[in-house]
Amino acid sequence: MRKSIIVAFAVLGLGGFATVAICAEDLAAAVKDRRHLMKEVVAPAAKLGGQMVKGVKPFDAAAAAKAMNEINGVPDKYVKLFPKGTAHGEIADSEAKPAIWEDFKEFEATAMKLKDASAQAATAAGEGEGAFTAAFNNMTKVCKDCHQTFREKLKE
Amino acid sequence: MKLRRALLALLALVIAGAIVFYLLTMPATVPASALPAHTPDLANGKYMFAAGGCAECHAVPLKKCDDLKTKEKEVLAGGRCLKTPFGVFHVPNISPDKETGIGTWTTIDFINAMKHGIGPGGVHLYPAFPYSSYQRMTYEDLIDLKAYLDSLPAVKSDVPPHELSFPFNIRRTLGVWQKLYVDGESFTPDPNASAELNRGAYLVMGPGHCAECHSSRNILGGIIEDAKFAGAKNPEGKGTVPNITPSDDGIGDWSEDDIAYLLETGNTPDFDVIGENMAPVQENMAKLTDEDRKAIAAYIKSLPPRPDAVPKSEQKKHEHKEDAAPSSEGAAEETPESKSEQPSAGGEEKPTAGGAEEKPTTGGAEEKPPAGGAEEPPGIED
Repeated sequence: MRKSIIVAFAVLGLGGFATVAICAEDLAAAVKDRRHLMKEVVAPAAKLGGQMVKGVKPFDAAAAAKAMNEINGVPDKYVKLFPKGTAHGEIADSEAKPAIWEDFKEFEATAMKLKDASAQAATAAGEGEGAFTAAFNNMTKVCKDCHQTFREKLKE
Repeated sequence: MKLRRALLALLALVIAGAIVFYLLTMPATVPASALPAHTPDLANGKYMFAAGGCAECHAVPLKKCDDLKTKEKEVLAGGRCLKTPFGVFHVPNISPDKETGIGTWTTIDFINAMKHGIGPGGVHLYPAFPYSSYQRMTYEDLIDLKAYLDSLPAVKSDVPPHELSFPFNIRRTLGVWQKLYVDGESFTPDPNASAELNRGAYLVMGPGHCAECHSSRNILGGIIEDAKFAGAKNPEGKGTVPNITPSDDGIGDWSEDDIAYLLETGNTPDFDVIGENMAPVQENMAKLTDEDRKAIAAYIKSLPPRPDAVPKSEQKKHEHKEDAAPSSEGAAEETPESKSEQPSAGGEEKPTAGGAEEKPTTGGAEEKPPAGGAEEPPGIED
């Protein structure tokens, strides 16, 4: 009897420990995934579009639209990657300001603006360089607006 | 008898000390007769208002007192709080309200504040108000700026007094700091540099006050000449302000167009966007003309390349709030000194901008004087 109680506790204890461990891993994975989306999906696409706007690369409507559509796919996934406990200071590599969780709805709304803005830029690409430039600049304002309030930039 | 003599000697010392302190900390101002005859140009005043970033600090913060976002830029009722190692500064009302703003200030009052850090009645102003840069502005630009500020709405507000620790809470002590770093001399163009470089230098060193955040400071809170623009800990606590000199640590791989484009749009060459404290600065830079942004970029590119003033190990550490607070002063002081031995600090001699950069600075007294740069020009206060 006593043995079984000990075993039961041991199992519970292990189980509890495992749960905690999985949680911590989940949190780290969320940070990794959301940074991946920004650094590997959004940033290269924005750079491609931006270089066309800056005149570093020639304007290519199809490539610009493709890049903007890649950005367009990000916000839906992105806003789901902010579990509590992943603010800057709470976990490694996080650039998320605690302000995100002070009013999560506001954060979500601000981040989701990227969806409309990138869709407009993708459409504008088909309308020519001038239209694309205006829509692209409008989109980067959306980026800046969100970063200014919700990102704590880490030195790489 | 002996004791009496000793006491007398002590008394004499105390009195002498008090006199020296009094003289050292005397407010230095210029009389109204120093002003040139100039009809205020409101449009240029508005332009200088953007270039100087006045609203970044003096507009009303959106929600909390440390919000970087503000309400209308033209309503300068103050109320922002700056949390620094010296304590908390509460940014004052500079709207033309006569009671709680600066509605009673004359043009010369305003110019003495901007060029000498002295408010009406001889009050020493804290250099959180970056007059160590604004002093380089020309009288004409300042007269225009004053006229523009006068044209903005007067608003009453109730800003709490600063909460500073001893001895920083004694304004008079600032007189010593001002002796070291403030002389009220306007920017002097370098005759050997192009008009574009001189314009860029003026905007950067004067109204733009870029060095105030992008440079590390010594223990007295003065900018370290050898580390100017080489980055710093964020004066408000968290994070670092980047090195903007054209070095490997800085932005050496950016072109002039990249810098001008960043100032116009907020996008880095990799299409990351700037945020935080630089975002409102960039929004103001976006209001300047293309030529002025190009001039700033040209001048930044001409700075002596410097290694990071904040060591890499510490750039990671500051991620925790506590770490960045009071100890930052001492740490910031040591670093560039040890670095100044490295050859890279010798970049001073850059032919074009070197002169343009070094001439208007006053900090030379603290560190070794820059090569070829003028030693403290005779200040108006002398």
